[in-house]
Amino acid sequence: MTRWVFMAPLLALFAVFFAYPFGYSVWISFTNLTITKQGQTKFVGFDQYLGLLSNSTYLASLRNTFMFVIAAVGLELVLGMVIALALHRQTWLKNVTRSVLLTPMFVTPIAVGLMFRFLLNQQLGLIPRILSVFGITIDFFGPRLALPSIIAIDVWQWTPLMILMLLAGLQSLPEEPYEAARVDGADAWFTFRNVTLPLLRPVIVVAIIIRALDAFKVFEYVIAITKGGPGTATETIQYQVYKTGFQFFRLGEAAAMALVLVVIVFIIVIIGYRRMVPR
Amino acid sequence: MMRTLRRILIIVAVIVVVFPYSWVVISSIKSQAALSDPSRLIFRPTLVNWEAVIDGGILGSAATSIVVGVVTVVIALLAGTLAAYSISKWRTGGDQTRFTVLLSEMMPPAVLVIPLFYLALNAGVRDTLAAVIPAHLTFVVPVVTWFMIGFFDAVPDELEEQARVDGYGRVQAFFKVVLPQVYPGLGAAAIFAFILSWNDLFYALILAGGNTRTLPVAIASFNTFRGVELGTMSAAILISVVPVVIASFFVQRRLIQGLSGGGVKG
Repeated sequence: MTRWVFMAPLLALFAVFFAYPFGYSVWISFTNLTITKQGQTKFVGFDQYLGLLSNSTYLASLRNTFMFVIAAVGLELVLGMVIALALHRQTWLKNVTRSVLLTPMFVTPIAVGLMFRFLLNQQLGLIPRILSVFGITIDFFGPRLALPSIIAIDVWQWTPLMILMLLAGLQSLPEEPYEAARVDGADAWFTFRNVTLPLLRPVIVVAIIIRALDAFKVFEYVIAITKGGPGTATETIQYQVYKTGFQFFRLGEAAAMALVLVVIVFIIVIIGYRRMVPR
Repeated sequence: MMRTLRRILIIVAVIVVVFPYSWVVISSIKSQAALSDPSRLIFRPTLVNWEAVIDGGILGSAATSIVVGVVTVVIALLAGTLAAYSISKWRTGGDQTRFTVLLSEMMPPAVLVIPLFYLALNAGVRDTLAAVIPAHLTFVVPVVTWFMIGFFDAVPDELEEQARVDGYGRVQAFFKVVLPQVYPGLGAAAIFAFILSWNDLFYALILAGGNTRTLPVAIASFNTFRGVELGTMSAAILISVVPVVIASFFVQRRLIQGLSGGGVKG
């Protein structure tokens, strides 16, 4: 009995601010609700979802979002692992360097976006200025490099979270397998491949899930820097929902866009969770 | 050899992290003329950008952000801590409850913002704190609950049993004996949750982009309406960043235990 009393406030909040809006969102996705034409709202079944199939901007945003998530999380994992391994054995200036290296993940993402927008800006930015000394001109937010630049910004901000999770994983590993490897004369790379990686696997899976699900929400860098352009080069789902729902006021269509993302995210979580907890 | 390589790697990483910060700090004390030459390091420092950004009402936005963050976190702590204890120690609802908490933490805000916006519009509370706070609860409550599950998992079960033997009821045992054990975790969860609320742009921009602007919305507005005002924007960025970076030093150590939420025993 007491257990449910303790749960009650959470369940009440969950019902009112989470389950109800979620259900409402599903309902909206089956209507043609548009804020400027509220009187004409009617049930349209799966029309909004079917419409998305032929919406080339939305399809581009799906593709961009996936490329963004895969590239950003992949780079963050590799970089995070390298830095975590370096920090793991570090004794010199340990606390200071760790604290500083972790700060980017706490900075307001819109501030990060604007910071890099102007750091990489053709006229006002320091980096293009330095490059021009060597005769190099790079348009970081041009059609070819816009998405990679956004990915690089995400890597700057979120590799610290990878480092944090992997470092904690490394520090919790048992010593014995390493002693055994040393006795057998295994070199550093062999030990990493055959001892560290397998032992660290659960931590890596959790880290990838946490980062990937967060990366799907990419929004701030896009609105701060490229606004989806050039063309559709940096359109992402969350930015599409923002534009469709709150600049064009087509809430029904925006809800369908968002719910497609939920289904994808849900599938990823289920697969990841199965891997984490083998039956 | 390996040690030198490690040191070089760490030094490079620190430079990559610190470099953008220092550029923003320098930009915030440069005059408009000095800003047009980004590589110029010798200039007469000025406070005009700071004065302009403060006259522009940035502190009001900061106050709005603080109110939203504090109210959200207090509600989340009350509901989340009780529920986390119930889930951690009394296995309420089985393992699915844990998983549901995690899932709701991962819900893309793009889904919930649409109904929340429409409901706020029809209730006449759009562009007020009454619209933003419920939206922030949708991600702050799951995070706090998830964190607290992890911290309660680390408290030995015998503690509650011992308290019961000593004559405490279940509720008393929780408040008098178990809860004090997780105060440090509670503090870390509160700070982390506050940072999440403080950093949110998406909900705040859509639900209250006009008069009740939070700090991230105010910062975003430097980008759209006034053209490029690099100096004032840099000052505004620092006003938002410095408090959270300082706060982050207090939570970093406990963040891991919280993030894994009892999912991975470290």
